[in-house]
Amino acid sequence: MLLGVVVVVLALILVFMSSGAPVNSVSGASDELVVNVYSHTGEPDTGFDPLQGWGCGHVNFEPLVQSTLFKSADDGSIINDLATGYSVSPDGKTWTVNVRDDIKFTDGEKLTANDVAFTFNTAVGSNSELDMSNLESARAINDTAVEFKLQEPQSSFIWRLRYVGIVPEHAYEKETYGRNPVGSGPYKLVQWDRSQQAIFEYNPDYYGQKPYFKKITMLFLDKDTAFAAAKSRKVDIAEIEINNVNQTIDGYDFISLPSSRAFGVSFPTQYDTGSKSLQGDPIGNNVTADITIRKALNTGIDRKAILDGVLYGKGDVEYTGVDQREFGNPEAKIKDSNLEEAIKVLEAAGWEDSDGDGIREKNGTEAEFDLYYSSSDQTRQALSVAVSEQARKMGIKINLMGTNWDEIYANQYSSAVLYAYSSIDTFNLYHQYHSKEADATYMNPGLYSNPVVDGYLESALRSSDQAQATKFWQLAAYDGSTGYGPAGDATWLWLVTMDYLYAMDETLDLGTPQQNAGSDILGNIYEWTRIDESSSTSGK
Amino acid sequence: MSENAKISGFIGKKILRLISLLLIVSFVSFMLIQYSPIDPVRAYLGEMAVSAEHKAKLEEYWGVNTPPEEKFLNWAGDILKGDFGVSLIYRMPVTDVIKERFAASLALMASSWMISGVLGFILGIASGMHKGTLFDRAIKTYCYILTATPTFWLALVFLMIFSVQLGWFPIGLSVPIGVTAENVTFFDRIEHLILPALTLSLLGVAQIAMFTREKLTEVMSSDYVLFAKARGEKGLDLVLRHGVRNVALPAITLQFLSFSELFGGAVLVEQVFSYPGIGRATVAAGLMSDVPLLLGIVLVSAVFVFTGNLIADIIYEFIDPRIKQQETTI
Repeated sequence: MLLGVVVVVLALILVFMSSGAPVNSVSGASDELVVNVYSHTGEPDTGFDPLQGWGCGHVNFEPLVQSTLFKSADDGSIINDLATGYSVSPDGKTWTVNVRDDIKFTDGEKLTANDVAFTFNTAVGSNSELDMSNLESARAINDTAVEFKLQEPQSSFIWRLRYVGIVPEHAYEKETYGRNPVGSGPYKLVQWDRSQQAIFEYNPDYYGQKPYFKKITMLFLDKDTAFAAAKSRKVDIAEIEINNVNQTIDGYDFISLPSSRAFGVSFPTQYDTGSKSLQGDPIGNNVTADITIRKALNTGIDRKAILDGVLYGKGDVEYTGVDQREFGNPEAKIKDSNLEEAIKVLEAAGWEDSDGDGIREKNGTEAEFDLYYSSSDQTRQALSVAVSEQARKMGIKINLMGTNWDEIYANQYSSAVLYAYSSIDTFNLYHQYHSKEADATYMNPGLYSNPVVDGYLESALRSSDQAQATKFWQLAAYDGSTGYGPAGDATWLWLVTMDYLYAMDETLDLGTPQQNAGSDILGNIYEWTRIDESSSTSGK
Repeated sequence: MSENAKISGFIGKKILRLISLLLIVSFVSFMLIQYSPIDPVRAYLGEMAVSAEHKAKLEEYWGVNTPPEEKFLNWAGDILKGDFGVSLIYRMPVTDVIKERFAASLALMASSWMISGVLGFILGIASGMHKGTLFDRAIKTYCYILTATPTFWLALVFLMIFSVQLGWFPIGLSVPIGVTAENVTFFDRIEHLILPALTLSLLGVAQIAMFTREKLTEVMSSDYVLFAKARGEKGLDLVLRHGVRNVALPAITLQFLSFSELFGGAVLVEQVFSYPGIGRATVAAGLMSDVPLLLGIVLVSAVFVFTGNLIADIIYEFIDPRIKQQETTI
């Protein structure tokens, strides 16, 4: 009997091996697309529900199934989607958005201002990544206008309107919507195989520009497996690790797209007086609290060398963390890789190496501090090593502490930390540099406190006008005398902005990807096409 | 009569043992989560900026500030009512998550369990029959190497060779890419199962093969086999008639005891092959301190492993009491 089972099992295996299951090429039809690009944040655990973070949580991106009030143009600026326009009251607390009258959900029901109000009101209590705590309530004034009441004026609220997908009031059930979403976006969710893939099909009733691809299969493979998938031609476009940049795959182009992912070192800006944070973690560092040390590092570090060495040049040098954004301030930048100048600054402030051990000291304090980084991320590790090696040339000793996030957070107020910021929401800036938030959340790790900068940040956030807000965000970085940027208080050592790398089937044409789209590579899916294979080879 | 008393005594003892096991396991795992340094809200948000207000709300949702004893009693009370709670990550009932994931893992574990048992047994018999030959030594070496091989590494190597280089198997997942459920055939599923199941089973082969080999040599040098030989039986016939029969039951028993390793191996293999089983849910629940889900999985897996051991025990106790006698004499 046993032998019988064995024979059957072996026979089955042999049948499958010999039949060889021929590698199907990327997709059957040319208007079908297989992507593995959502890997920055992985699969949405809670499904395709904007109120639980789909499209608008950790990293903002096109929700595909739902439409949003606004969207991004190719140049990154915000344009209308469902909205036909908006206005903000002079006190910045009331936003009125007008919405289109001609839009239907995929179940045939009309989308009205009520649905928009419902979406945002429900989001307030969602307990998800989506932070709506500043929204008091939303109300439909009529079928085509919604009024948002904010608790505090918040110019960055525009990003919420940009990324939160609108759900239908009549078909929203918190427990089930994520698996069977109904929306008005360019695609419909056909099927979700949890932790494997999601299959989307084109929505024929979509009001906007018709996408070329009738079907999108979104895979949720990790990056190594995704690379293997590209090697066996199972995927049209896959995000890949930076260290694969020098490899090649037949039939694939490796492309790098600018992102908003900036890496930088945060410095504790307070002196060590023995005080502790609310969680009991130590505060302050006598070395990094000295602005001369921070300035010297900002001036002396060769960012270009780090970019080339660690990221193979795929990215850009970064000075303020938001250089690439329209609210970044070019005045806040400085000239770097100037070792001589850095040393001059240090010596003028009394940091000298009198005991000849290669490390400077001042009043008995060695120019030495710890730099924490997440040891599970090779890029962060390489960046940390590069910074510490370069600092050594200035006589500053940086001890590398590769560890887990819990250790990092516990030490962030007393040691330098290598962080990465991806969000393009201006709200980040407020959290990172405003003193009011110090010690209450984790987002001002250096406990930076400057009343002038606070003033700019508040004005920027409270402003009812985007252009004016932008101006204030810029001033917070540097106003000619102070600011959080390297020309001012040099609160961080920003290093590089990383490109995202993709292996892309050479028959694919992405149109004009949005500027600094970050992980929102599908944001311009309407422009994606597949070009004829013969013309592709001659074209490239 | 005495047989009945024996059975009911056996059942009673087992039920008591299961209950105490579940109690201890759930309490210990709960404490481990409680004292792990992971802050679930930080893990959930990562490096994202949120307002203090929103953070406070999330802390309430994840129960950060609820005292541990209260949390545990709440959870245990609900469990007694049959309510496993709602997973904090997936925001759906824990029972649904486990049902969905365990079903996928079961297919994987069952098939690899079968393959490893059968393959291991055959190799063990073959090796035991030809003890001392080159063939035997080759199998022994193979088994030693396998026991020292990390599961995920073997999985990666297989993936690179069989999926990427040779293209014989899909690169992972449990269903074909971009095919809707109604078009997925039974054979599609089998095809996606083969490589992960093979990986998992190859590692299980070693133990059973080595055991069978030892047992067979023991049996082959016993008096009754000598007697059979004296009667003129020999070769494969002899082994099949006297050897296999006597070796099969202990081997099967051992195979049931390997349920726990099977479970651990499945976690690693599922990661590599992007196979949507219980292993990946466990990792996610652990990394994000999803207490209800993790405890639910722990309970289910404890019952699973317990069942394996129970079946082994039943074989011990009722089907082949000789095993027990042997054990006691050893």
